[in-house]
Amino acid sequence: MNAIILSAIFGVVLMMASAFVSNRSLYKTIALACLVLLVGANIAETLGYSFFTIDTHNMLAFNKMGLFFNTICFTATLLYVFISSSEIERVDNYTAEYFALIFFSLCGIAILTSFNNLLMMFLGIEIMSIPLYILTGSDKRNLKSNEAALKYFLMGSFSTGILLLGIAFIYGATGSFGLESIKVGTLQMQLSILEVTGCILLLIAFAFKVSAAPFHFWTPDVYDGAPSVFTSFMASIIKVAGFYAFVKLFESRIETTSFATNPAVGVNWHLLFAILIIATLFVGNITAVFQQSVKRMLAYSSIAQAGFMLFALFSVNAFSKEGLYLYAAGYCLATIGIFAVLVRMKDYTFEGFNGLAKHEPTLAFATTVCLLSLAGIPLTVGFFAKYFMLAAVVKQGYAWLAIVGVLFAGVSIYYYFRVIAAMYFKSADENPAAVATSSTVKIGLAVVVAGIIILGVWPHALLNFLYF
Amino acid sequence: MIVLAFDFALFLEKLILIAVVIFGSLGVALYTTFAERKVAAILQDRRGPNRAGPFGLLQPFADGLKLVFKEEIIPNTSNKTLFIMGPGLAMTAALMTSAVLPWGNKVELFDRTIALQIADVNIGMLYVFAVVSMGVYGIMIGGWASNNKFSLMAALRGASQAISYELAMGLSLIALVMVTGSLSLKTIVEQQMLPGHLWNIAYQPLGFLLFLVCAFAECNRTPFDLPEAENELNFGYHQEYSSMKLGFYLFAEYVNMFISSAIMATIYFGGYDIPFLDESKISPNIAAILGIGALMTKIIIFIFVFMWVRWTIPRFRYDQLMNLGWKKMVPLALANMLLTGAIILWLQGK
Amino acid sequence: MGTTQLLFWLLSALSIFSAMMVLISKNPVHSVLWLVLVFFTISGHYILLNAQFLFIVNLIVYAGAIMVLFLFVIMLMNLNKDAEPQKSIWMKLAGAISGGSLLLIFVSVVRSASEMQSKQALLKTGNIGLIDQLGKTLFSEYVIPFEISSVLFLSAMVGAVAIGKKH
Repeated sequence: MNAIILSAIFGVVLMMASAFVSNRSLYKTIALACLVLLVGANIAETLGYSFFTIDTHNMLAFNKMGLFFNTICFTATLLYVFISSSEIERVDNYTAEYFALIFFSLCGIAILTSFNNLLMMFLGIEIMSIPLYILTGSDKRNLKSNEAALKYFLMGSFSTGILLLGIAFIYGATGSFGLESIKVGTLQMQLSILEVTGCILLLIAFAFKVSAAPFHFWTPDVYDGAPSVFTSFMASIIKVAGFYAFVKLFESRIETTSFATNPAVGVNWHLLFAILIIATLFVGNITAVFQQSVKRMLAYSSIAQAGFMLFALFSVNAFSKEGLYLYAAGYCLATIGIFAVLVRMKDYTFEGFNGLAKHEPTLAFATTVCLLSLAGIPLTVGFFAKYFMLAAVVKQGYAWLAIVGVLFAGVSIYYYFRVIAAMYFKSADENPAAVATSSTVKIGLAVVVAGIIILGVWPHALLNFLYF
Repeated sequence: MIVLAFDFALFLEKLILIAVVIFGSLGVALYTTFAERKVAAILQDRRGPNRAGPFGLLQPFADGLKLVFKEEIIPNTSNKTLFIMGPGLAMTAALMTSAVLPWGNKVELFDRTIALQIADVNIGMLYVFAVVSMGVYGIMIGGWASNNKFSLMAALRGASQAISYELAMGLSLIALVMVTGSLSLKTIVEQQMLPGHLWNIAYQPLGFLLFLVCAFAECNRTPFDLPEAENELNFGYHQEYSSMKLGFYLFAEYVNMFISSAIMATIYFGGYDIPFLDESKISPNIAAILGIGALMTKIIIFIFVFMWVRWTIPRFRYDQLMNLGWKKMVPLALANMLLTGAIILWLQGK
Repeated sequence: MGTTQLLFWLLSALSIFSAMMVLISKNPVHSVLWLVLVFFTISGHYILLNAQFLFIVNLIVYAGAIMVLFLFVIMLMNLNKDAEPQKSIWMKLAGAISGGSLLLIFVSVVRSASEMQSKQALLKTGNIGLIDQLGKTLFSEYVIPFEISSVLFLSAMVGAVAIGKKH
């Protein structure tokens, strides 16, 4: 509860700051201070110090897993704001409002990690995504940004409609919004076909939200059109939070609605998920190969990464759970890092990166580490993230799916290395390709690189927190 | 098999009541036009209409006949269905509100107790609010279907004005509902009639003021008659209308005025309550007649206020209107709501 | 078949018809007006279920406020028949087929849901839709979602200001 209430309050604080604080450079200081407090409050709750005692009528259930995921997301946001606050200031005049929206989004994330009720899940998703529609369109004079915002909004509303239809079906079948009562109820009663339909609709809606193929069409345009700083936020923290909710929802439901327990109306979830995973990996990786713009390539690569995160859905066991946390942390770090570099580039094409190593060796090095992590090269966190995911699938006895995953990871190396090759082995034609970087950004990137390598060598630095 | 089971006496009784209320409203509206001209004349030191009938009393009929017999023109480029629907909708919305208003307590006729209210629904206040918000369709559809840019602009102005002021109106009503604890208009009136209980105006003075201003805006009356600002928009949203369709629009405005006066009298000024008189001591039929008289008196006073304002205060500019609505009325209404809630809590705690 | 059933069938037929007309109408303004009618008929269903508060709120919020804004935007942008983009026949066909199959699935799902077959809708009874009951439920059992939705509206409001305001 700490995280939900405080993030909403901090959002209001920043909103008020825009009215009463005239010094615009103060906003980021306030935002950083609030984020530090938020992370602190969330850790306090993990340790058992809850500031609020509220009877949630079993609609929210706080456990260590969810709270720890909050900590990952909030810390990543802290890092993100630390690195990109100067870029956020540059988007438009409404810096404080943007920070406020980021806080509201975090409130949605905190709900998504603790929901115990479909109603709360719906609210969480909406609170998380509505600020994003606005952040996407924040560059008002840019037509691409406007188009991206509209597309994102329409697609988002559409998928929310499907989500609500699914919830309505499940409510009709079970008479309850709760996650747990459904679990108990369906084991006793005959599984209703309405509930199965509802679950499939929920699957479609979530596939939209996390941009899994074939529901990914909005992603490249939106990621490309949005101001790069906000793409960074969307592609990292929001994406993994969406996945957490996805897995949390379905792990409570896969068993009861599966084909195995209910031959009459059950669903063959493994087949469905496998189709979704393979389609997502295929579309993401293959299309990313043909991109000319690095930003667009990253958008497709995020679809590809979504394919890997979907493995957590395919096999719900301890491995996949750990993998999801590791993936969340690693993917957030790498994406925040690479976008922090990208926003400083004058030219988003691959050619724009030519000779970056010469002019800005630190930036180039950080980019390299981030890309290696995204590609899943050993000694980076990305390797262990993918390893855990694949190991979980193998443990379930679907080795062939793991092989497909490895093949596509191999494809992904090609387009990630294109950037690295451009930076190190090609020379720039003219002046420096990047805007000069401040020391804040360098410190932030150092933290990112350190995080990627430390977790890459010793993943249990993170995973131990799950079990302490 | 009984398909439609009705209490036919009740059906008949309601039917008659509906007819009386509707024709009553129309009749009042008819004479309000006359009153408007007379009041304007008095305020401007003129005589006003005085040729048709004694004191010009037949003037409204003359006007009505003129409107009916005028040539009806439907513009060629207009959207004909919607063009005809517009004034009808405006009139329907204006007349529908009267369904939940208690016009009097009850009369006893032919061994039946007849409530002088068409429908006592437990959400009466919200019903009023809903119908008011429908009223804007008449203006919008008519303005758009005319296919004339002045009409369209007037319609859009009307719509945005109505929506803006509905907010403050709703908020001021919520504060009132917090005091009354009921949404039924009948219950609200009965509460105000209780001995030792004052009219709601005493508990909600600010709320009433806000409601009054919003009522002006909702009826598109001066100083908020932007939709028909003739110096900017020629003749407003009914520019292309002629004959009785125009008459409907003009009439709907007066019906609206009558109904909003009735609502204000009902919810803030005790409805059919006669001050300092215990109605339960006299026979119900006489009490009902006196009650209707009391309500009508209150309504007429309000209608006079409407006219008085119209002929005294100049029109707002459009941005001033929006500023007033959003930056003054809404915060004031919110403050009023907060204050009311705080006082109620404080009184309950004592 | 009593009055209630008669009204139910009438309202259902009307709502489906007007929902179809929303899609069929070429003129966006007509579509919006048909949609208003859809809201009215759905509100009628609420009345049949004795949910008077939902009935009136549906009218105030959707028919009275949101649809007016829709109409407002459509009129301001001057959308009319000519502004409607021309879609190819194949697009229409594909849309009709996929939409039709979805409809088929939903209808078959509802028809084969065995637990629904013996159940009767509670018409004219039940008091959850009355304002006092709804208020109590909303502020006791569902107070958490109720309060948290304020964050949702606040964020939407902040966003609307940030997007809509000029410098």
